[in-house]
Amino acid sequence: MALTPTLLLAAAERTLNGLLARDPAAPSRLARLAGQRLLLRLEHPELALAIHFHGGGLDLLRPDDPAEEAYDAVVEVDAETLGALLGGASMERLMFQGRLAVRGRIPLLEATRDLLLDLDLDWEGELARWLGDIPAHSLAEGLRRLGRFGLRTREEFCADLSEYLVEEARLLPGRPQLEVLRDHLTELEVASDRLEARLARLHRRLADRVTP
Amino acid sequence: MSANPSSRDKQTTDFGYQEVPLEEKASRVADVFHSVAARYDVMNDLMSFGIHRLWKRLTIERAGVRPGHSVLDIAGGTGDLTLKFSRLVGPRGRVVLADINESMLRVGRDKLLDHGVGGNVEYVQANAECLPFPDNTFDCITIAFGLRNVTDKDAALRSMARVLKPGGRLLVLEFSKPGNPLLTKAYDEYSFRLLPRIGQVVASDADSYRYLAESIRMHPDQETLKGMMEAAGLERVEYTNMTGGIVALHRGIKL
Repeated sequence: MALTPTLLLAAAERTLNGLLARDPAAPSRLARLAGQRLLLRLEHPELALAIHFHGGGLDLLRPDDPAEEAYDAVVEVDAETLGALLGGASMERLMFQGRLAVRGRIPLLEATRDLLLDLDLDWEGELARWLGDIPAHSLAEGLRRLGRFGLRTREEFCADLSEYLVEEARLLPGRPQLEVLRDHLTELEVASDRLEARLARLHRRLADRVTP
Repeated sequence: MSANPSSRDKQTTDFGYQEVPLEEKASRVADVFHSVAARYDVMNDLMSFGIHRLWKRLTIERAGVRPGHSVLDIAGGTGDLTLKFSRLVGPRGRVVLADINESMLRVGRDKLLDHGVGGNVEYVQANAECLPFPDNTFDCITIAFGLRNVTDKDAALRSMARVLKPGGRLLVLEFSKPGNPLLTKAYDEYSFRLLPRIGQVVASDADSYRYLAESIRMHPDQETLKGMMEAAGLERVEYTNMTGGIVALHRGIKL
């Protein structure tokens, strides 16, 4: 039998537990969830996935006999909706749209999503375990500077590109020109509406004269 | 392997490829596990390239254990299955980690305590052939890589069926017979040439790992074990081959 799905699930579980272990806020969230079980039924592809929470993280299993009574909450969802849910879409909206079905304790699904989405990893702490406090702080500070430099460079590049396209090469209109154009178009739209109304009135008058 | 009628007459049984007096097998197996207990997990990872974790994971999925269940993990060794089961059964359930070997049980207990497992796990030194539990006690029983070391496998399976609750599941995870001749040849080369060398280097004990390879070859194949489980009183017995049949997971239900 192919062990691939088991391998993938084991890898996913290991990754998630590794990430949770690096979030200083995760233990308190996990403590509230410990002992609870969530059954996730995916429609396309068809897959039942049991999530068991415990103090150190979560277990992911493919239940052999997914009887619903053994779970605190059962979620039925398709892959697209699951993506939207994990992307931060409103649970209530998805439920009202009929894309998400939840039976049992609805707050458990909400808490699970928050646990995964609100991960705040303490990378510097993890680096310090391997490199020591001072090298880890220096490295983390360097990475943060690099990140800030990257952001600033991106902003400057966007500003320079915009200036070149609008002011120097004059390939694109600037915002003030766009505003003037929009005003002119609005005036033209109002004038044509008026003209249309006048024509309609003239048509009605002509029709009245012709009719005895 | 079970002592067959002829070997019973002579009061001998197999110990790997050797024939040994029936009463001697348990102590010789015990010596093997006393010797390897300290490096059991490392060796399992090395020998199976870590795949034993996936085999055990599939066993846990097939066990269908729920909160509140009672689970018996026979020959539980260093507690890999017990660790997961203790989370699945929760505080209302219980898991009994049983092993005939004191050294393995001690290593398992220490490892589980290090993982923070406590309240719902009990440790019992017990022989699988005569389990010290009342009839109809457990919702699920597992024996992973332990049955081939038992002297009288039929007695062990009967004993497990006895302590299983009606509706309960017995899962036997054990080495078996690969179906592909090419894989069999490669597997033989690996088992008899490479494995004892790894055992010598890592655990300074080539003989124990030679015994491991031999005991695997002497273990009944998939269909024979299925018949033995049915003879022990289990029903709906089925098996799943893993890694080309190198390992098989048998599952039977007591009705």
